[in-house]
Amino acid sequence: MKKNKQVYRFAAYKGALDMLPLSLAVLPWGILFGSLAVQRGFSWLEAQAFSAIAFGGAVQIVAIELIADDASLWTILFSALVITSRHFLYGLTLRERLKKQPLRWRLSLGFLLTDELFALSGHRHAYKNRLRLYYALGAGGSFYIAWNLWTFIGIVAGAYLPDLTDLGLDFAIAATFIALVVPNIKTLPVLITVVVAGIASVTFATLGLELGLIMAGLLAMTAGFSANLWKRSR
Amino acid sequence: MTYITILLVAVIIFTSRYLFLEGKLPIRLGTNARDFLSFSGPAVLTAICMPIIFVKDDQLNIAISNPYLGAAIVSIVAAWKTGNIYWTVGLGVLVFIVYGSF
Repeated sequence: MKKNKQVYRFAAYKGALDMLPLSLAVLPWGILFGSLAVQRGFSWLEAQAFSAIAFGGAVQIVAIELIADDASLWTILFSALVITSRHFLYGLTLRERLKKQPLRWRLSLGFLLTDELFALSGHRHAYKNRLRLYYALGAGGSFYIAWNLWTFIGIVAGAYLPDLTDLGLDFAIAATFIALVVPNIKTLPVLITVVVAGIASVTFATLGLELGLIMAGLLAMTAGFSANLWKRSR
Repeated sequence: MTYITILLVAVIIFTSRYLFLEGKLPIRLGTNARDFLSFSGPAVLTAICMPIIFVKDDQLNIAISNPYLGAAIVSIVAAWKTGNIYWTVGLGVLVFIVYGSF
C-alpha cells in the first residue's frame, strides 16, 4: 500500500516535471495579468481570486481590460466564451477516456484542463489508469500553482518589473509543442493535419482573427480526417 | 460586482472544460466523430505553436534574424531524431538564447 502511494507520487512529479517548461513559459503572462489588474484598480484579492477561481490565462487579461473599460456584463461573458471555446474541443477529445472516471477526478482534471494540460494528454494510455490520472494531476496542478504564483508576483512587484513578454519565454511553449507533435507524425493524414494547421493558423494570426486558433484547428482536423477517409477507401 | 463577474467568467471557463467529460451528457461519439477528434491534438498544438514562431505584431516574420525560426528548426530536427521532450526543448531554448544574443 505504501509502495503504491510512492508510485503515484512519482507519477505526479513526472507530470510536474514535463509541465515545467510550460509553467515557466507563462511567467511573463501571469505577471502581466497581476500587474495589469492592480493598475486597472482591482484589489489584490480580486486579482488573485481571478487566477485561483477561473484559471483562464488569456481570458483573464481580456476580461480585466473589459471590466476596467466598463463594458457590459454580456460583452465580458461573450468574449470569455469566444476565447475559451477551444476547451470544448479538448473535453470532447478526452471524453471517451475520462467520462467513466470517478466524479472527483473528472471535476479536478476538468478544472485543470488548459491548453498546456491538453498538450500533455496525447499518450496512448493517457487518463486510462490511476497512474496516468496522477500524472495529469501533477502536470495540471503544478501549472495551476505556477499561474497563481506568477499572478501573485505580478500583483506585488508588477510595478517594478519590466515587460517580460518580449523576452521570448514563449519559445519554450513552441519547443514543447514541437516535441509533442513531431514524433507523432507517422502517417500521411497526420502530416496533412499539421501542415494545414500551420498554414491556416499563421494566416489567421496575421489577419488578427479572434477565433483564428479554433478555426485553424477545425480546418486541419477536417483535412486530416478527409485524408484518412480517402486513404481507407483505396 | 467585480466578484460576481469573476465568478461568472469562471463558470463559463469551467463549463467549457468540463462539459464533455460528463458521462450523463446524452451524446454518443460514433466512429467517424472519434476519428475526426483523433486529429485534434496535432491540429490544435500546431495551431498554437506556429504563430508564436512566425508571427510578430500581426506580421509574418520569416527573416533569418528571427530567433524563433532558427531555434524552431533545431527543435524540429531534435524532436524528429531523438523523440525526446527534454532534448527538444533543451536544444531549442539553447539555440534561441545564443541566436538572440547576436
